[in-house]
Amino acid sequence: MIALVVVFGGAWIAATRAQPADALDGRAEPSSATSAAPSFALPALDGSTVALDELRSQVVLINVWATWCPPCRAEMPALQTAYDHYRDQGFVVLAVNQREDAARVAAFMREYRLTFPALLDRDGAVAALYGAPYLPSSFFVDRQGQIRTIYRGPLPPRVLAATIEQLLAEAP
Amino acid sequence: MYPLIEIGPFALSSGGLFLLLAAIVGGWLTTRIAQSRGDARFVSHAESCYYTALLGATIGGRLWYGLFHPELYGLHPGLYFALRVEAFAWPGALLGGLATGWLWTRWRGAPFLPLADAIALALPISLIIGSIGLLLSGEAFGTPTSLPWAIDLFGTTRHPTQIYLMLAGLLSLIILHWLSTKPLPDGALLMALLGLQGITMLVIEAWRGDSLLLPGGIRAAQIAGLTLMIAALLWARRHVMTHPQPAPTHESYATVEITPFNDS
Repeated sequence: MIALVVVFGGAWIAATRAQPADALDGRAEPSSATSAAPSFALPALDGSTVALDELRSQVVLINVWATWCPPCRAEMPALQTAYDHYRDQGFVVLAVNQREDAARVAAFMREYRLTFPALLDRDGAVAALYGAPYLPSSFFVDRQGQIRTIYRGPLPPRVLAATIEQLLAEAP
Repeated sequence: MYPLIEIGPFALSSGGLFLLLAAIVGGWLTTRIAQSRGDARFVSHAESCYYTALLGATIGGRLWYGLFHPELYGLHPGLYFALRVEAFAWPGALLGGLATGWLWTRWRGAPFLPLADAIALALPISLIIGSIGLLLSGEAFGTPTSLPWAIDLFGTTRHPTQIYLMLAGLLSLIILHWLSTKPLPDGALLMALLGLQGITMLVIEAWRGDSLLLPGGIRAAQIAGLTLMIAALLWARRHVMTHPQPAPTHESYATVEITPFNDS
């Protein structure tokens, strides 16, 4: 009996192993058609206002998230790693928080040691503008201000790096 | 999904609230069950053992979660102490609670198994309550699937792993209460719970989209689950299958000299 449990249990564990990106899997939307990223300006945690239009010529990842969203939290370290790695090449993350108060967001950013800008979308207007009913949703905007890739759900790190590198390689 | 429950000016995490509710109900049930299975001293020890094990479960659950998130907890060890209810892992909580409960009984000189049986009977309802919290908060979410009972969550349709966990808790509740009417030795209910939790972890973890992973994509909770199943079976083979015993009368508990509490 115990031997059977070991054999079948071991086989089940082997058969249901997670693939490298399984633990964080979302769904990319077709990116053949590009569209201009809608302009917005939102307050940041430091009291300043960040406008998307001011970031033209940079590659921007607009990440729509909330602290209560498990996959949002799970992908934050990967976003920070990408931000640290590619920031000097013209990459920026705008973490557009949904309907949470500044204190809660600030505590989360501090706790997770996140240094990219967190913006407060207090009424969800930017999420509605971008058609982001799901959290997390990620919008990759190229240097010309065009949305090139939309990713619904958790963003696998390899997709993150590949997309950023592709967009950074394009001429400003 | 209702991740936040607004009470006046406060937006509270539904997962956290249900976790708290599960802990409170677990304590209340432990008292009720202990009252039906022993004297006042047994009740007192069951309550103390439960809350001590709860503390151990909290520590174990956070340790397990942190150890499998080295990219975050390795860099920022202060996160181990963060008041963040979602950053816990059930296998670590179960093992931590078990170890702490056992240590407490060793320290108090109390028999572990009768106390653990009482707590084991209380736990399935706590697990069901906790699963409702997971469903509301979206924690423990499943992998994508197109099965007809999939739920729409985080950008795609996914296995409703939280409902699977709820059903597993319900099944555990039924089986444990059925076993509690049978003539079994002390410890049988605890081992049944551990075995059932082992099966739950082994099977349901396969459809989790947020598994904590070992190298090679092995899901850590499945290893813990298989280990629990084997431990429960080994115990059953030794204590039940080869040496059937009459139903416990808890005389073993009553005749043990319990170290009196030192309140000074």
